[in-house]
Amino acid sequence: MSTFIAIVLSAVLTNNFITAKTYGICPFLGVSKKTSSATGMGIAVTLVMVLATLVTYPIYTYVMVPLKIEFLEIIFFIFIIASLVQMLEKIIQKLSPPLYGAMGIYLPLITTNCAVLGVTELVIGDMSAVLGTASMNIGWAVLYALGAGLGFTLVMIIMSGLRERINCYKTPKAIAGFPIAMVTACFICMAFYVFSLITL
Amino acid sequence: MNKFKKITLDGLIYQNPTFMLVLGTCPTLGLISSAFSSMGMGLTVLVVLTLSNIIISALRKVIPNEVRIPCYIVVIATLVTFARMFLEKFVPDLYESLGGFLALIVVNCIILGRAEAFANKHTVAESAVDGIANGLGFTAALTVMGVICEFLGNGSLFGYQIMEFRISMLAKPAGAFLVYGICIALFVYIVDGFERARRVKANKLARENLLKEGV
Amino acid sequence: MTVKQFFKSSTFKCLITLLCVLLVSGVFLTIMNSLLKVTDEERFARAINKIYGKNVTTESIAVGEQINEDNYHIDEAYLVKDDGNYLVKSTGKGGFDNGTVTCWVVVVVKGGAVSGIEKVVIDSNKNQSYISKINSAFLDGFKANFTPDVPFNANVGFVKTGATMSGNAICRSVNGAVDFVNAKFGNIKEDIFKDKNYTKYIDTANTKGEYDEETATVKFEITTSGAKYKGENKAGAFTIRIAVDALTGVITDYEILIDGSTSATYSGYMLSTIKPDGNYIFVGMDLEAVINFLNNGIELEYPGDGKDTPISSGASQSVHQCLYAAAFATENYKILLPAVEEPDGDGETEGGSENE
Repeated sequence: MSTFIAIVLSAVLTNNFITAKTYGICPFLGVSKKTSSATGMGIAVTLVMVLATLVTYPIYTYVMVPLKIEFLEIIFFIFIIASLVQMLEKIIQKLSPPLYGAMGIYLPLITTNCAVLGVTELVIGDMSAVLGTASMNIGWAVLYALGAGLGFTLVMIIMSGLRERINCYKTPKAIAGFPIAMVTACFICMAFYVFSLITL
Repeated sequence: MNKFKKITLDGLIYQNPTFMLVLGTCPTLGLISSAFSSMGMGLTVLVVLTLSNIIISALRKVIPNEVRIPCYIVVIATLVTFARMFLEKFVPDLYESLGGFLALIVVNCIILGRAEAFANKHTVAESAVDGIANGLGFTAALTVMGVICEFLGNGSLFGYQIMEFRISMLAKPAGAFLVYGICIALFVYIVDGFERARRVKANKLARENLLKEGV
Repeated sequence: MTVKQFFKSSTFKCLITLLCVLLVSGVFLTIMNSLLKVTDEERFARAINKIYGKNVTTESIAVGEQINEDNYHIDEAYLVKDDGNYLVKSTGKGGFDNGTVTCWVVVVVKGGAVSGIEKVVIDSNKNQSYISKINSAFLDGFKANFTPDVPFNANVGFVKTGATMSGNAICRSVNGAVDFVNAKFGNIKEDIFKDKNYTKYIDTANTKGEYDEETATVKFEITTSGAKYKGENKAGAFTIRIAVDALTGVITDYEILIDGSTSATYSGYMLSTIKPDGNYIFVGMDLEAVINFLNNGIELEYPGDGKDTPISSGASQSVHQCLYAAAFATENYKILLPAVEEPDGDGETEGGSENE
């Protein structure tokens, strides 16, 4: 149980992908202008993160390590993620057109999102700081991916809310757009820094 | 020759990937707390980008349009894996300091972006120049911000301790966002200023010419 | 679509191109992997080079069972043949954010015990965001401050770095290396207080005591284990000198030699509780009085927050360690009494046979 809490807290708050690890910044800055699109993107990223981890972790542990081809991990992972995203897009299009309308446009962007590749690389690496004495397995890996995705969604929603407010005001040309968004992100990071003081 | 000058200037200034297009943000924000690692990341991207541009440009007539993206991804992933092996063998210090961001070069939008926007339409020589120019633009931007963040955040430069005073926040992601945002604003402001001055000068010349013709 | 058509279609061409690209990359990477693979020996040679600045010949030593999993973990150990020192890779626990610091420690052995630390080099760390503040002056402190049988304490004799938690983990790592070499190659010293009563918060391996005939007291030099409670800012280990009267079991002298409190503020809170008027309150107490001092009685466990006891002073962890040391001394002084002297006929004096 304590491992469960440790993983969730660590993935969502203390080691939040955006504010602590700076993974997945492109969608964070690019798709956070409106709360609705930020939420859609966040959910799509969470879904792909979980599915990608569910596929890559067993492949790495049970196929690549015994065959001693760990060095091909980058090619394998990026290929798996790309095909997964393609497949997901087709499946959603077939099964639920309204959902596709809401989420479909974000899916192709996810292939080149570092958060997804980042989480698959993280869970096969050294996670002992999060896990404590427990050993890594597929369940913890997927849980970590889920937590990381939820943390990502949380920060996306906060950011989009702030940006909607900022857009109401007139900003000088040089700082409009990305610079003001980055300064906003700086304040979110500072707020989230408090969570990194949690020790479990 | 003018063509190469334009490609170089575009890559370095007018379409600088870091400040103008805001691409490849994850490694930028994650690594600018240290000048050494940010410069190392810049140089690694420079090499990978140039090689990928050359290979993709050379293969542009062979690869069918339908599968071009998967092919580019495979080429880039191969180059990144190679870069990772190379660094681990010969520059272990840099390998350690880049950490997870080394593998994430694969999904760095600059590389796939240049492949898709430039290399698959231009000759090998042009693509190589484009890769070097963009890589240098990226490296320069990262190094400048790395120096700022490390000096103010840690009181050191490339690992050498210079002063005791430090603003620890600047060595954390929060500070990275702040410095990056301010740098973009300054860069855009300066480039805009130059552009405007040039335009004013050109207008003045044109008007004088018109006046002369009128006379 | 016939088979012939399929072979001419663009789908086939796409597939073939993709497969070719994949195959070429795979072959290229496999060749490069075999050429550029970093072997374990190479990794070790790099670490050695970082420590000595040159290559030295080493002989691996089996690590065997870990001595103290709570504080450190010995990863690897080597005998350096060039100078006869021991090279130990040890991971210290309890750093910032529950992280660890792994150090290479060069340990000098002379006369059957560790006689010095030659060098400490940080190998790697986990989650230590302030590790850059650990400078070479701090690491050189280990060479300068080494005293046999006294474990390092980041609060004593070291340059203040601003990275207290990381410094603690490094100290634990170095202490671990020293303990490991001592246990393996030093003359084995018996831990006479091990598994006695009231040793939960006492570092028995580093606690000494002897009977002083002149004053008829047992003199202890007790090292506590450091606070073991959850939370930030745990108090560090204390070293306390206590003298217990051999006949009555009453404390006659009490002095804190090393204050493990995390800051001067806590230290002040602690002293206002246990040294209210310039004298330590433990002087004159026997075991019963010490136990009764804490209202919750016999267990003498840390009461936790919110319980109203005399030690809830703002520095409960520090005060509790001092109290516990007093309980330990008054309970265990009989072990150190000379075997011939048995005026009270207590069965406990059998322990005297364990005397050195």
